[in-house]
Amino acid sequence: MAYLEMKGITKTFPGVVANDDISFTVERGSIHALVGENGAGKTTLMRVLYGMYKPEAGEIFLNGHLADISRPHDSIELGIGMVHQEFQLVPSLTVAENIVLGYEPHKWIWLDSETTQAQVAEISERFGLHVDPDLPIREIPVGVQQRVEILKLLYRQAELLILDEPTAVLTPQEVGGFFQVLKRLCTQGHTIILITHKLKEVMSVCNYATVLRRGVNVGSVEVAESSEAEIASMMVGREVEHIYQKDEISSVVPKLACEDVSALDDRRLPALRSISFTVNAGEILGIAGVVGNGQSELVEVLSGQRQAEGKITIDGKYLSDHGTRFIREAGVALIPESRKTQGLNLQGKVSENLVSNTYYQPPFSKCGILSMDKIFKYGRKLIKRFDIRTESPNAVAATLSGGNAQKIIIARELADRPEVLVAAHPTRGLDISATQFVHEEMLGLRAQNVAVLLISADLDELLALADRILVQFEGRIVGEVDPKTVTYEQLGLLMAGHVNDA
Amino acid sequence: MNSGILSKYGTQFLQVALTLTVALVMGALVMELSGKDSVEAYRVLLVSALGSRTAIANTLLAATPLIFSGLGAAIAFRAGVFNVGVEGSIYMGAFASAWVGFTFLGLPGLPLILLSVLAAVIVGGLWCYFPGVLKARLNVDEIVTTIMLNYVAILFTSYLVNYPFRLPGLSNAMSAEVAPQAWLARLVPPSQFNASFLVAVICAFFMAFLFNRMRLGFELRTVGDNPIFARWSGMPVARVIEKVMFISGLLGGLAGASQVLGVNYRFIANFSPGYGFTGITIALLARNSPIGTLIGALLFGILRSGSSTMEIFTDVPRDLITVLEATVIFFAALEFSLTWLRRKQHATT
Amino acid sequence: MQPLSNLLFGMLRMSTPLLLAGMAGVLSQQVNLLNIALEGLMLAGAFFAVVIGAYFGSAWVGLLAAMLFALLFALIFGFFIIDLKANLIVAGLALNILAIGITSYLLVIWFNARGVYSPGNFEKLPTLTLPLIEKIPFLGDVLSGQGVLVYVSWLAVLFTSLLLYRTPLGVHMRAVGEHKESAETAGIAVKRVQYTAILIGGIMCGIAGAQLAIGDLTLFSDNMTNGRGFIALAAVFFGGARPGLTALGCLLFGLFEALQIRLQISTGLPPQLVQMLPYIMVVLLLIFISVRDKYRGKAA
Repeated sequence: MAYLEMKGITKTFPGVVANDDISFTVERGSIHALVGENGAGKTTLMRVLYGMYKPEAGEIFLNGHLADISRPHDSIELGIGMVHQEFQLVPSLTVAENIVLGYEPHKWIWLDSETTQAQVAEISERFGLHVDPDLPIREIPVGVQQRVEILKLLYRQAELLILDEPTAVLTPQEVGGFFQVLKRLCTQGHTIILITHKLKEVMSVCNYATVLRRGVNVGSVEVAESSEAEIASMMVGREVEHIYQKDEISSVVPKLACEDVSALDDRRLPALRSISFTVNAGEILGIAGVVGNGQSELVEVLSGQRQAEGKITIDGKYLSDHGTRFIREAGVALIPESRKTQGLNLQGKVSENLVSNTYYQPPFSKCGILSMDKIFKYGRKLIKRFDIRTESPNAVAATLSGGNAQKIIIARELADRPEVLVAAHPTRGLDISATQFVHEEMLGLRAQNVAVLLISADLDELLALADRILVQFEGRIVGEVDPKTVTYEQLGLLMAGHVNDA
Repeated sequence: MNSGILSKYGTQFLQVALTLTVALVMGALVMELSGKDSVEAYRVLLVSALGSRTAIANTLLAATPLIFSGLGAAIAFRAGVFNVGVEGSIYMGAFASAWVGFTFLGLPGLPLILLSVLAAVIVGGLWCYFPGVLKARLNVDEIVTTIMLNYVAILFTSYLVNYPFRLPGLSNAMSAEVAPQAWLARLVPPSQFNASFLVAVICAFFMAFLFNRMRLGFELRTVGDNPIFARWSGMPVARVIEKVMFISGLLGGLAGASQVLGVNYRFIANFSPGYGFTGITIALLARNSPIGTLIGALLFGILRSGSSTMEIFTDVPRDLITVLEATVIFFAALEFSLTWLRRKQHATT
Repeated sequence: MQPLSNLLFGMLRMSTPLLLAGMAGVLSQQVNLLNIALEGLMLAGAFFAVVIGAYFGSAWVGLLAAMLFALLFALIFGFFIIDLKANLIVAGLALNILAIGITSYLLVIWFNARGVYSPGNFEKLPTLTLPLIEKIPFLGDVLSGQGVLVYVSWLAVLFTSLLLYRTPLGVHMRAVGEHKESAETAGIAVKRVQYTAILIGGIMCGIAGAQLAIGDLTLFSDNMTNGRGFIALAAVFFGGARPGLTALGCLLFGLFEALQIRLQISTGLPPQLVQMLPYIMVVLLLIFISVRDKYRGKAA
């Protein structure tokens, strides 16, 4: 009998089915990988198991008994523990204090630090997870912090440990040691579910793998009997392609160039490691990769929102170390990743959003005074041209649907033919017709000799639009492929970190 | 489109009316519980504030510093900067204005007035500009710094009139008198109502123009609504914050100058009965709208100018007004969180 | 040596309300609720200490009343900021103004007094002579013979320290203040912890107010807290919300207060300039912290 069985789990959020009738089982004492691209539903499924989300349908069985989990407390009681991608540690408290947080040993009203130390030392020893209990969390490296998170689970006597992308914070050297710890935990009777998109990990340490794609369970395999290629293709699937008409590129004129660009993310970990690439005029360069491999940081660097080392130029002119306005004035248009926070002011009017990058120049502005009339007319013009469904340029942006809101951004950035377009997930959350519209606009720019950089998690989109595709993994470009000849398998392998040796 | 604007102002008006009504009811409750006739008290309040030409003039006079400080608070809040420091600018500006007024005695009336106001405006502006720079460039929390600087301003100006600029022979801490040619003329004697009210009204309309029709207004509104988007659009966010804080302090300076040149004719230590803080209340009540602030200031002017008479005739202490103010602020604090909550709801998915 | 021991004695006396309000501020800050309302809570405490004390003819009853009413005000404040999630600054401002308004209002309504009220029908809180310590030559003059609440304020510092660093509740408070999400995930009842901090703080502010009003004389005057709540807040920032350092700040500011009167007499140094120091120090400190954080970020 399986240790854990999730049966028919369906979980929806407004507008999207994150988990669609998912069933799978996990054997006791195994390391079970939950694999899939971003948005496949892995984290959602595990949060349902952990009690953070309540599913619309489905049941959870532990050792054959129906489990009633409505909040994390319940799952903790049942011996389930989860280490989230973002650590739940308190920086100024010590390792020991964090491990026992909420369950502190105490004598009457006083903290019992002796017992705390003893207990922490004991589990640390038992599982081979060595930590210095007296150091505050903010002084220990991220890799060690992860050990603390695991110790937290073990202290609360978790038998099933769910780890969400655990190697994201480890150096290659630390990964080996980490796998040893996992193996030891299993021999001691624990069961581990590993959420990951990295095939190497799956192959080297997991016993089983369940692959999710677009909210559906594509299948489970026994790792020893499978291969990277097989799992990769399950992850990525075979979809019907949209074919767009594209002219051939006549000449290669580099427009936007990145040379040895490196940057840190918000956690001060390296997000971009010496990235170099060029986007040529009149081409769409796609960047593929599972979200979280530095793509957000790349967009932030290119738009002047994040500091980086290295050289970024447009037509040979330096963009690096300059602010966003300078970059925009140099002819770079930006479609940012997060529509609502980075791309729009939802409280503002549609017309105001349409001129947020140009308001300070004539004809919109003269001597510090805005010409509301011209702005209004411009708004009307763009609404018509881009078919933005809204009652008037004075409507508040929050009243528009997602697709139309994205059109505002498209209209703003594309209306005045830019030199370069950096587009990050431009069709995320859009329906088919809106998506098609965006695609056609980008192809239109391509025909006008604009250099387009398209970062997307949607492989179909990249294959349909891009002239070349780079794959980004762990902050590096690990490969360049030709969309006309590449297979899904090859893409999947690259995206999962499997780099060809030859 | 027209229905849109009407409904937007309509809801705003309703919210303000609701908050005020609750405050008035609270006030009535407090009065009744202490055995006073609330209806009579409110009646006397209104009559003494608006019952005669002089009364109205006094009400408008009382409203003048509130208009300035309310606008000062409003512009900062609208840009997302919680500037509690207008009170400090009022003090520093007032002293600067008085200093010019009692130093350059030879200058004729109008130039002296203008110079005096200029001094107030520059000093007041700089007083808020400083914490503005700290916030914009170093991300120093503006709330704490402006609160601290308020106390520094109050104490420093108190020092100035108790020591270097003390008027010998008097026990009250005050400066020398401003030259008589700079005293703002009484437009409706015996009330001290003067032209500074008109300046305040002009400022309100100018600020409305600034918000809606000027480049800086567009920038500060965007920064206030969504600073991340402002950055991504390429707006010079730090400079915007600095400019806004300067203007905020400038308005405080004007409030100070209006009191010095129009009411006290000198600088008196601790002269402000919390104009800056009432300004914050008004700005919150008006949701940072300049015209709304003007109206709110007029309402508070009624409360302030009517309350002392109310006290004389009905035995209801004028401190009731303070209780009303507190109630208004509490409910404004709630509205703050309600809009914030609504914003969060829009932001999901 | 008399003037020096005199000065230090004065310092301890003047620091008492600051220490109490400071500890209240520390607790609030530790659960990440910036408490601007210390001023108003103290004032409420002061008012009811005098008023209720006069009604019952006993300073002890007055002290109890101060604690209770400050607790009540703190409850209102806490309700607005924790349950209704109101804006911290605005709610704090509101509470301060409410306290000023209500105390002045009731003073007129109940006692027909404007500005000052000194009932004169009961004795202030007693002073304590510390048995052995009073015999020590210099220290005895400084430490012994202080009002009872002075010693209570020292206990408050000890209490706060022990609470924060030696009890599970204290760990929970620090966790909630620093990383609410982690505390929640760990199963801690965040709201309850925050309320506890605010309410304990309220009681301490009440005691602070009592010290002001019935610790030396029995007198209430309008706005008698006179910015002490903000000085206490300044001390909290100065001390990084740590009890020990904050207490040091409070003592320092108390020293300034004691010094300023004496300085004025002896050197003519203006009291206002001395009074300005705490506030300027806080601004400089905040600048220093921000600059340091900025460079620390760059170095990494």
